[in-house]
Amino acid sequence: MSSSYGPPEMMAVAMARLIRDGELVFVGVNSPLPLVAVSLARRLHAPSSTLLSIGGGINPTPNKLGPATSNARLSVGSASVFDNVDFYGLVARGGVDTTFLGLAQVDERARVNSSFIGERQRPAVRFPGGGGAAAILPLSRRVILWRASHSPRIFVKEVPFVTSAGNIDRIVTPLCIFRKEKGQLVLDSLHPYVTRERLVESTGFAIKNLDGAPLTPPPTEGELAELMRVDPEGVRRVEFPARELSAA
Amino acid sequence: MNKQLALEDAARLIRDGQVITIGGTLCQRVPAAFVREIARQGVRDLELVKPSPGYDIDLLAAAGCVRRIRSGIVSLEQPYGMAPNFRRAVEEGRLEVIENACPTIMASLQAASFGVPFQPVAGLEGSDIPKVSGFGKVADPFTGKEVYVVPAIRPDWAIIHVNEADVRGNARIYGSPVWDRLMSRAAQRCILTTEKILPTEHFAAQPELTIIPEVFVEAVVLARGGAWPTSSYPEYDVDDDGMWNYLERLRAPEGLARYLEESKSHDRSGIEVAA
Repeated sequence: MSSSYGPPEMMAVAMARLIRDGELVFVGVNSPLPLVAVSLARRLHAPSSTLLSIGGGINPTPNKLGPATSNARLSVGSASVFDNVDFYGLVARGGVDTTFLGLAQVDERARVNSSFIGERQRPAVRFPGGGGAAAILPLSRRVILWRASHSPRIFVKEVPFVTSAGNIDRIVTPLCIFRKEKGQLVLDSLHPYVTRERLVESTGFAIKNLDGAPLTPPPTEGELAELMRVDPEGVRRVEFPARELSAA
Repeated sequence: MNKQLALEDAARLIRDGQVITIGGTLCQRVPAAFVREIARQGVRDLELVKPSPGYDIDLLAAAGCVRRIRSGIVSLEQPYGMAPNFRRAVEEGRLEVIENACPTIMASLQAASFGVPFQPVAGLEGSDIPKVSGFGKVADPFTGKEVYVVPAIRPDWAIIHVNEADVRGNARIYGSPVWDRLMSRAAQRCILTTEKILPTEHFAAQPELTIIPEVFVEAVVLARGGAWPTSSYPEYDVDDDGMWNYLERLRAPEGLARYLEESKSHDRSGIEVAA
């Protein structure tokens, strides 16, 4: 693959492209890649979109992006402080266009488990929890999920517990983009440096549209140049396990 | 009325088996010095109610202070990742999680703050959370449409770290108050730790900036750096070395005791400085 970009750049650019100009976009806790992606989109094709940060700011202008997206520095430059209670009221009354949410596991019916595996009282694996996802997924007009890792333990046939389900539009990973169609995940595009064999081996369910899906257009020179300006310190890389960075 | 207490004395207000809520979020503006003092005093069987705990529950889980938690997400955020001591305590069956979404905890606290028994919550369709966590579903008496409801939860204490307070308990928070304004209304009483103690005139000059009024407050603790190693905007950011040191220390079996001993003079220094 080209040395000018890797999975972090591909994901940041792919997520940015999904943002539409004029939208109100929410970036919650634990979301370095979405923070970079929305900041990038606002400097490219979506200058009139609004970033609502769980750090408390509306279109904040911190002097640099950091990995902690609940940081109150994400209210610097904002003309108001928009707190968590404000946000959950807004999303509940249908006021949020697009939300980015993470996931621990997702299945072929686009149901997300971010809670646990095994017995509830003594789980084999405890995950962080879904945050606001159980409420946001049915309420935000559109939800883009992302995960900086792609394996059969993450993309499973059936999740053992449904933390959240709802208006999933796309799922962006280091390998590909899925879309939701008639209640099922369907391959939308495959990143240019990924073979179809590798995607099959890395996914725990049979992939629909495996042969028909196109390649994700690689990041353009213009997108990459703006990405370096938005994120000079490489916040986009912080979520990636080492194996995802080396395997590309 | 002067409500200023030393950290150790204020922490003694927390009794075994009580329900607490803790201000801040993940690794931001957590009343960390107070949390460590609870651990030093060996308080047991607490229930923590908080939409987004992080450093606080990780340390309290390691110390065995908490038997049950109601939360939406538990994380130390990037680059530290998931809270490892919380995870271990849950996987070993020592800590029960009542699965929630952040806004369902919010709604339980809102019900308590409004003095009503339960609160409707939007969303949750398709989620298994209402079933495993005992939420209700009722028909709206006006439209007949069904809605999920959660019970009021009134914590015994809200423990909140603020930027500025007076000795009567009026307090300002700069940056986002996160959930803390709500927590201060939902709990029976509040305990504040504060970066600075200022005269009441400072607050009276711009009363609209007071997030927590004195009527809710039981105790005020001067705790400079009291959120460390979490942030207290705008004074200081998350201390990266402090976070890695915490995680490293607690990997050893006797690491927690050592960590609590090493941080003791930092935590209790606020009062010494004031005196």
